Amino acid sequence: MPVKRKIDWAIYAAFVVLMMLLPLVMDAFWLNRAAKYLVYGMLGVAVALSWGYAGILNLGQGLFFGAGAYMLAMSLKLASTTSLQQGSDKPVPDFMLWNAEPGAPTELCCINKASFLWLPFQSQWFGVAMGLILPVLLATILGTIVFRKRISGVFVSIITLALVLLVRLVVIDSQPVTNGFNGLTDLGWFNVAGLEFDPYIVPTYYLVAVSLSLVLVGARLLIDTRSGLILQAVRDDQNRARYLGFDVPAYQTFFFAVSAAIAGFAGMLYVIVSEFASPTFMDLTFSITMVVWAAVGGRASILGACIGAILINTISATVSETEGFAEAWKAIIGLIFVLVVLYLPRGLAGLAHDFIDRLLARKPAASPRALQVSETSSQLAE
Amino acid sequence: MAQAALTIDGLSVDFEGFKAVNGVTMTVDDGELRVLLGANGAGKTTLMDLISGKTKSTDGRVYLHDTDITNWEEHKIARAGIGRKFQIPSVFKELTVRRNLEVASCKKPGVFANLRFGFGAEAERNVDAVLELIGLIEEQDRIAAYLSHGQTQWLELGLLITQNPKIILLDEPTAGMTQAETHKTSEIVNNLKGRHTIIVVEHDMAFVREIAERITVLHLGQVLAEGNVEQIENNPKVREAYLGSKGIS
Repeated sequence: MPVKRKIDWAIYAAFVVLMMLLPLVMDAFWLNRAAKYLVYGMLGVAVALSWGYAGILNLGQGLFFGAGAYMLAMSLKLASTTSLQQGSDKPVPDFMLWNAEPGAPTELCCINKASFLWLPFQSQWFGVAMGLILPVLLATILGTIVFRKRISGVFVSIITLALVLLVRLVVIDSQPVTNGFNGLTDLGWFNVAGLEFDPYIVPTYYLVAVSLSLVLVGARLLIDTRSGLILQAVRDDQNRARYLGFDVPAYQTFFFAVSAAIAGFAGMLYVIVSEFASPTFMDLTFSITMVVWAAVGGRASILGACIGAILINTISATVSETEGFAEAWKAIIGLIFVLVVLYLPRGLAGLAHDFIDRLLARKPAASPRALQVSETSSQLAE
Repeated sequence: MAQAALTIDGLSVDFEGFKAVNGVTMTVDDGELRVLLGANGAGKTTLMDLISGKTKSTDGRVYLHDTDITNWEEHKIARAGIGRKFQIPSVFKELTVRRNLEVASCKKPGVFANLRFGFGAEAERNVDAVLELIGLIEEQDRIAAYLSHGQTQWLELGLLITQNPKIILLDEPTAGMTQAETHKTSEIVNNLKGRHTIIVVEHDMAFVREIAERITVLHLGQVLAEGNVEQIENNPKVREAYLGSKGIS
């Protein structure tokens, strides 16, 4: 077992190193794309944690992604000089001017009834903080209600699905504060102590890559704790866990909230690399697509789900831009999904695990070598 | 006289007019092994549900030693010291046998208290001892889903032993077992005698004879008789109500 764990960490280390080396071979355009895919990889981690480990199939993960995205986008909108100066000398977002109440002063506090909500977002770090707090808060409230009432399985999925659609409608409907269907565009750059994160520069890529590395390792360590093990026990048999004395809803709610925080974090990073936030983040198709990524990569593996997300997005980008496949690429992605579900129920990660098991079990002579390999790689990780 | 571990006082539950358990009063002493006997629908499993908190009672009280645990939440009753084995064996199917027992060895119920690595040397030794007792040492790294029916039952017993509750409730621990498996189960249960207070619901008379000290017979939600195996077998009321005129087969 320890050998397997070492190999596991070695694979994590290899992934991180690979991610860090990418800027050596990619131009700015592709690097920006890669950063977006890494953000999707982070969403894969969030889905694996809640679906694979907590047994909660959240069909509304986009709600938390969207919440994180909008919170930071509000701050970055207020940091955008071009959008603030349009038709006004006061720092008010452009779309608010177009939606101003008749006769209202051109001030962020009162240009329309709800615009005061934007006031604290003048601080970028307030936006960042809210990008984590809001998803966690939503998840904790939702989780407390749902899990205390012992709602489980498909009913949780239906509730999350309904909720993300509801919030999407509210966002679209609140044109004066959210710019409705158009979302928040023309944003400023994220700024840390004078360093501006232009989406097409290498530091921005590293911001995402390092964030993803931390999330990967953090999520993996979390699973290795006693709570992580008890969570899996809860997933397998809630009642058994309850009668062993565990506070089942507390475990479900906690990990649901952690998953939401990761999704919110991903939402913020996405805003930094793509420079917009839009209600499409809360489209049903997007939330379901995330589940597909995790299923293909392997929902019971943190890294597997992450790689699944990156892989599918890379493939769909390549295929959709190949002439001749331009029309058919969605069918190809669909086909991959069907094949994986039919033949690899544990996804690519399951395939990799079986392969490692076979390598380790083949010959006694083979195992010292495997040990050596994993030891050198774990030294690498240190 | 031994101290009472579990005191049930006039316990009743009313399912919209149907009283599945109706004014049951009984006392189980510390370290005792008590068998609950009764025909289908006599209220045996419902009584276990009431003790363990799965079903909320409508009348009466349950005391664990001196603590009134009536209608507490299930996980709190479990923490207070009552462990339960279900009729349908339930273990954590996607975890290995050893992992299953490690889960049961976590002494703290909360999620934040368990945000740490490892279980400690003492817990691991305890897990080894339990593996030995339930005879699953060879299987400790197997995924629980691949165990045989009998092995799954023993693993669930192992979960309870690891949890180390004061009182163990066993609901038909030999259901679906072969004779050899039943015998091994009775060995495990006999091994627990004295260390835990045990209450068993069982139909299998061979098993009951192997383990029983005192028997309580339930009939239509009420206590019909109480005594040792011999007394129960010869009790005319029991014969009439449950065993039929031919006696225990």
